[in-house]
Amino acid sequence: MKILINLAYQSLLSRKITVFLTIISLTVSIVLFLSIDTLRLGAKKSFFGNVKSGDIILGSRSGEIQLLLYSLFQIGSPTNNISWESFQEISKKPEIDWIIPISLGDSHKQFRVMGTTKEYFDRFSYRKNQKLKYQEGTYFENTFDVVIGNDVAKMLNYKLEDSIIIAHGIASQSLHDEFPFKIKGILNKTGTSIDRLVLVSLEALEAIHKDWKTGSKIPTKINSKKNYTEQDLIPKEITAAIIKLKSPITIFKIQREINDYEFEPLQAIIPGIVLTKLWQVVSVTENIMLSISAMVIVSALIGLIAILYSTLNNRRKEMALLRIVGASPKTIFSLLLIEALIISFLSIIIAILFSQFLNLILFPILDQKFGIYLENKFLLLKDLYFFVIILFTSVFVSIFPALQAYKNSINDGI
Amino acid sequence: MSNALEINNLLFKWNNEDNFLLKINKLSIKNNNKVIMFGESGSGKSTLLNLISGILSPISGTIIIKNKKITQFTPNKKDAFRANNIGVIFQQFNILDYISPLQNILLPCFFTNFKKKNKKYFYDRAFELAHKLGLNKNILLQTNSNKLSVGQKQRVAILRSVINKPFLILADEPTSALDNKNKENFLDLLMTICETEKVTLLMVSHDTSLKKYFNSFINLEKISHSK
Repeated sequence: MKILINLAYQSLLSRKITVFLTIISLTVSIVLFLSIDTLRLGAKKSFFGNVKSGDIILGSRSGEIQLLLYSLFQIGSPTNNISWESFQEISKKPEIDWIIPISLGDSHKQFRVMGTTKEYFDRFSYRKNQKLKYQEGTYFENTFDVVIGNDVAKMLNYKLEDSIIIAHGIASQSLHDEFPFKIKGILNKTGTSIDRLVLVSLEALEAIHKDWKTGSKIPTKINSKKNYTEQDLIPKEITAAIIKLKSPITIFKIQREINDYEFEPLQAIIPGIVLTKLWQVVSVTENIMLSISAMVIVSALIGLIAILYSTLNNRRKEMALLRIVGASPKTIFSLLLIEALIISFLSIIIAILFSQFLNLILFPILDQKFGIYLENKFLLLKDLYFFVIILFTSVFVSIFPALQAYKNSINDGI
Repeated sequence: MSNALEINNLLFKWNNEDNFLLKINKLSIKNNNKVIMFGESGSGKSTLLNLISGILSPISGTIIIKNKKITQFTPNKKDAFRANNIGVIFQQFNILDYISPLQNILLPCFFTNFKKKNKKYFYDRAFELAHKLGLNKNILLQTNSNKLSVGQKQRVAILRSVINKPFLILADEPTSALDNKNKENFLDLLMTICETEKVTLLMVSHDTSLKKYFNSFINLEKISHSK
């Protein structure tokens, strides 16, 4: 066995260029497959990581995917708000553990502004039940304080106590410039959409919109913010609310009750279920990408058989010599399999190193540019399964050239 | 003196078809004899060597080497018997370029004696025999064998055929591609080794001028009925 491995190794070494190219093509295909797989799982994780907080999301009646996207991921716009009274009414349900209102609509530069309450910061959890933590500062003390997500601080280079102006609507030119906000807290990186949020209190949102009607300022009225009483700043509307139930058993009951609410068209969705539905749509693309990378692997394996085949004729004398010195046709057969095994083994090793290297470079870029936060994990169990499959497949396909060598060597001697 | 090799009523056909046929009623070679066999191209010389070495199996007849009927052996036993008892020198020597000259010489041991773990003996033997043929350690330990001169390749090929202490050496037209000087050197070395190692030699060639180096000669066309 040792002699065979040695012979196979040295023989491969003597065909450096073709073997090297085969290894490269196999390596590239494995890396491609691994990367697509990591990306797929990472994207899924980072999506599903956002929905750890609540059992139900309450919003105005629209598409359930739409509600999910704007309430949890701040993607797209709400079609309608819900009234504060309805929110209050629903909050009274005894099955509800906690309920957090959120309000969307304004923006700061490229980032969304979300109004909410202090509870949001305490209750929000992501991935493995991690809680929000402040990198610097803390929750807002005054009405016109903001807490910003990690990406906001990083990209706009903001520090605590910096002043920022909020714009009305998304990508709008009209600014709420009479109400500058002060940054009171910067959150830690979470890898969720919170990183890209500017968080203010509901009261603040109410205050800055006091003098606005249907999206523009009423120019005659000039108010100073100090004039508002607490009563003035009770919001009239919110966009959505995140509900946590005391017991998950009541989920469908509460959902039904909200959907049947008679005073206002409301909708309740279960984020996990909706996200799964959404993911089914996304996963078509995923599967296409995976199958393309699987095909790339197949073509690389065909390349592997091709070089084994192509060298067979040149190596007939070599095989004949091995036969004469005592190798049986079976030994010749295994020699070729060992060569294939060495090639695919080396490819896998290089692929592992290369993909780790790629991860180091690409993960931060993906995070910054696309908001896909991936944890760098070295070799998951499923990767090991994948490698074993690659090894087996490469040995399996090499049976064909090996069989040819076997047949040749039965009659080839002197 | 007993016979090293004995062939009786041998019949061989390629793939059992009649387009090639080798038939030898009787052929014997005495122990420690050096025999040359002449025959034109296509007369079946290589086929006969493959039959003797047990790579090919005849349709009928017996081949007896070292008093063993190898024609009755199973394929595995044939492989083992060949590796232990028969040394072969190929046309153009067939040296593996990608391993060292030393590994080339020891190649037959890898499949036989090294399994019995007396490695050191064979390494010593390789160095000693190589020294006798004028190959020093530096040459033997080169990482690969593609830089060997023709003369060095001849020696490596001879050493490889003899390293395993074979009973019989088969040589398949080893001189056909050599100039006269190399041819003479090669045959001198081969004869010396066969003398000192007490090996029987059967060499095939179509060069009748080589007769003088051998004890006897056989004309394949006369003893066989090949088609």
